[in-house]
Amino acid sequence: MLNNIAVGLGEIKISDDPNTVLVAFGLGSCVGVGIFDPVKGVGGMLHAVLPSSSSNKNQDTASKYVDSGIQMLISELEKLGLDKKRSKLYVIGGANILMANKDSAPFDIGTRNVKAAKAMFEKITWTPDVIETGGHNGRTFRLYIEEGRATIRTMGEKEKDI
Amino acid sequence: MSDQNSKNINQLIIEQMQIIVEKGFANAAKGFSEMVGLELTVDNPEVKTVPLNDIPMLLGGPENDAVGIYLKIEGDMTGQIMLILPYARALSICDMLMEEPDGTTQELGSMERSALAEVGNLTGTFFLNAMADTTGLSLRPTPPAVMVDMIGAILSVVIATMDEVNDNVLMFQATYKLKNRKIDANFWIVPDAQSLERIIKEN
Repeated sequence: MLNNIAVGLGEIKISDDPNTVLVAFGLGSCVGVGIFDPVKGVGGMLHAVLPSSSSNKNQDTASKYVDSGIQMLISELEKLGLDKKRSKLYVIGGANILMANKDSAPFDIGTRNVKAAKAMFEKITWTPDVIETGGHNGRTFRLYIEEGRATIRTMGEKEKDI
Repeated sequence: MSDQNSKNINQLIIEQMQIIVEKGFANAAKGFSEMVGLELTVDNPEVKTVPLNDIPMLLGGPENDAVGIYLKIEGDMTGQIMLILPYARALSICDMLMEEPDGTTQELGSMERSALAEVGNLTGTFFLNAMADTTGLSLRPTPPAVMVDMIGAILSVVIATMDEVNDNVLMFQATYKLKNRKIDANFWIVPDAQSLERIIKEN
């Protein structure tokens, strides 16, 4: 019996329980980052809301931002023995939900979130295995701890492996 | 600002805004009713603070299909307006608007979307007009944008537009009823915290 663990706005969830599925439901402009280490059988997911924590140094809110959230996710997984080289890395979301609206350009947070994630992984020289970002549709992102399988689903579509 | 200070301001806003907001929602229901041709009533208008993490869960789950009609507020107070309808409900509202039998509209094309945009426009404008009448503030909505997506994705627009991520979000919220039947239309006004604080301090 699989247990869904919802990864809410600005949260990080870690699991090594094979019955667990980490889920970020309906990612819009938010970015989901998933990491799975197949040897340790441990995975983690971040659901970040805004791109940069530069204006906010509060440790409690680190997981709300893409840059500080990624660092926090990695450091929590490293405590459990994460080896980046053998692990799978997923960057999902960052859509521009408000599409064709002329007002949307200045606050297209989705694009800025994706940029921040890519910049952070470039900085730590870790290339994501799967990047499913942009577009105009929300995505639900799942990470199955048992097999390290990852899926996304968009409105009106079936869940598909990535 | 300290948490204590911001908490006091929130309480002050909640007390002062309740009556204004009730009038606003009542007037917005009038706008909605005129457009759809059915008598809508306002259910449970509230000014409240909601934990950020609860927001996607408020409307029955973040993965549910929905339609969001979104406007920004400009003028003396800035903020955001979001009218959210379950997807199936949005289809039947289109039938009402186009005077078709219920079940006619099967998907949301550009015609249906612009009809829904107009519903949001009218609802938002009626709300702002009532609020402007009571407060003397100058308030106007931007043109509406219609989103068809999962609730979580739609609501992330509101959250991402706030400059910083607060743990709690101040919002004015109401649902609408048709006779005694809930129509599950959720109407949110999310004022920019700073602009609201300024208004409260000045008055």
